Amino acid sequence: MPGSIKINSFSKSYGDILAVNNISLAIDPGELVGLIGPDGAGKTTTMRTLCTLLVPDAGEVLVDGRDVRTNVAAIRAMLGYMPQRFSLYPDLTVAQNLNFFADLFGVPPAEKAERLQTLYQFSKLEPFRKRLAGALSGGMKQKLALSCTLIHTPRTLILDEPTTGVDPVSRREFWNILRQLRDEGVTILVSTPYMEEADLCDRVAFMYQGRILAVDKPAQLVHRFPYKLYEVSGSDLQSLRAYLEDETDALSVQIFGDRLHVSYGPESALIAPAGAESVQQIEPSIEDVFLYLMQTSA
Amino acid sequence: MQQILYLIQKEFRQVFRDPSMLFIIFFAPIVQTTVLGLAITVDVKNIQTVITDYDNSTASLAIRRKFKNNPYFSVSGYVESPVQLREKMDGWGAQLAIVIPSHFERDLVRSQQPAIQVIVDGVDGNSAGIALGYALGVLSDYTIDVAMANPALAFSARRIPLVAPLARMWYNLDLESKNYMVPGLIAVLLTMVSLFLSSMGLVREKELGTLEQLMVTPIKTWQLILGKVSPFLILGFLGLAMMLLVAFVVFQLKVAGSLVLLFGLSALFLLTTLGLGILVSTLAHTQQQAMFISWFFMVFLVFMSGFLFPIKNMPHWVQLLTYLNPMRYFIIILREIFLKGSSLKFLLNEIFALVLFASTILTLSSLRFQKRVS
Repeated sequence: MPGSIKINSFSKSYGDILAVNNISLAIDPGELVGLIGPDGAGKTTTMRTLCTLLVPDAGEVLVDGRDVRTNVAAIRAMLGYMPQRFSLYPDLTVAQNLNFFADLFGVPPAEKAERLQTLYQFSKLEPFRKRLAGALSGGMKQKLALSCTLIHTPRTLILDEPTTGVDPVSRREFWNILRQLRDEGVTILVSTPYMEEADLCDRVAFMYQGRILAVDKPAQLVHRFPYKLYEVSGSDLQSLRAYLEDETDALSVQIFGDRLHVSYGPESALIAPAGAESVQQIEPSIEDVFLYLMQTSA
Repeated sequence: MQQILYLIQKEFRQVFRDPSMLFIIFFAPIVQTTVLGLAITVDVKNIQTVITDYDNSTASLAIRRKFKNNPYFSVSGYVESPVQLREKMDGWGAQLAIVIPSHFERDLVRSQQPAIQVIVDGVDGNSAGIALGYALGVLSDYTIDVAMANPALAFSARRIPLVAPLARMWYNLDLESKNYMVPGLIAVLLTMVSLFLSSMGLVREKELGTLEQLMVTPIKTWQLILGKVSPFLILGFLGLAMMLLVAFVVFQLKVAGSLVLLFGLSALFLLTTLGLGILVSTLAHTQQQAMFISWFFMVFLVFMSGFLFPIKNMPHWVQLLTYLNPMRYFIIILREIFLKGSSLKFLLNEIFALVLFASTILTLSSLRFQKRVS
């Protein structure tokens, strides 16, 4: 199946460290799937294995129905991979970088010019064609890296934290590009540490300590949160938190920026404590779900 | 094939954007060959000499004149007493002293074989030996002069040699060390530039993360290695051409043999050192590490190559080790082609060794390279 990804009972360890522990995940062609989890969850290991850079210890990893162990060349030709770190040549210009990767991927010269034009258009990098890649801003670097990844019109894109360290405006722009690509039928697996980006995916896979805790549509995931959730704000969050944890039946108290998210079982409810400025019951967010899943898995 | 050309093109773009790389490749060989070619010399010249003459006769004057007119000696003075002589030697004022005893001429005429004392500063044993040899040469020259002028004396003095040796140093007529050192120096500099460039080049891509990006392209490992090695091979050739130019302009050293052969065999050697560089880059994670590991190899390559220290003087087991040093063969090749103009058939052993090294190291490095990234 062109563009599909299938992972079955895949494990990988580095020496004694089990990086990925028996995960399974199936992605349909043209799907935009977010891989979400903290550092060290095994996201990069999974992605590098999909790109044929690592060999699985156990299980089956298929891209386009091809085994990453044996079909390395065929998979690489139809796959685009953007590593976590910016990894283009800083001492070559934007155009030279693009041309170099186009040449390495064997893009026919007749198609190259047209292809570059399309990429310049959506990345808005055309005015910077002659600038050295090392002199670009963070957001532009990521767009250039994505363009280099797209140069050979891959059917599958593997993007490892492409928006980490990029300003919010560029991040939004980047995600618009991803959704546009998805609409064109490209399968995309993208990892991110930003929870709010999870809502922009078709499906989200939560990864934690080498395992996938849940895979679902963002709208469905929030239904997995079994508790009542309150948002509490106040001037002294630390003492509020201590009070809620010690003096009430709160199942968990999490800090969300300048407020607290407090969850309770169905039979108890929260009475506004002293020092709280506002208390209201809210719908759980993806992050609430993730924190809940992490706690219960431990 | 096309892919390799793209890699080479990219590599050159990067090299020509980086001024420090240009310096390493073009300017450094010129400066280093010139300066080091002049500096690294084992010639013994201008031997500071003092003479104590207790005789002051026609014969002793003749000996003094002989030393004075000899280009290897620089007679810095005449001293009167052993004490003064000792002061001179102690104060580094003289490396060599000649003491002519009183009644030297009288004893000579009487065929009593008078002795002449030669004192040499032995701190630098090597130079001392050579200086002593030169001094004995001058003295025996004098004896022959005397014998020729007075045949009667010659017959009575049994120790005067009747056969005069006529020494000719082939290939290096004046026994000048530059003739020997400059080709060796070229080998050293070529090794250094190629080893460092190739080991740092790949590690740089590792540091940048671009290696990972390259690995997911359809390019094959051997293509990648070839694309990485070829630009440095070309740059190595340019460096070699620069150094040959310096050898000719500064040292009046012309390559006696075939230039085609010289470049061809240099290519063979460069493949070995570039392959070693790739091997180093599979061991190193940062350019700094690559540099240290390269130095580790470099020191062995240079000092066990016969560049400065003759291999024949080393302990037997160390001599055996030098057979594992590709530079050993390359230095022989360079000196042979440079000085003797040797042709291919005289170098077959060395060529065979280099072919063996180049193929082994390149195979080994591509195997290791593959392992690391996949």
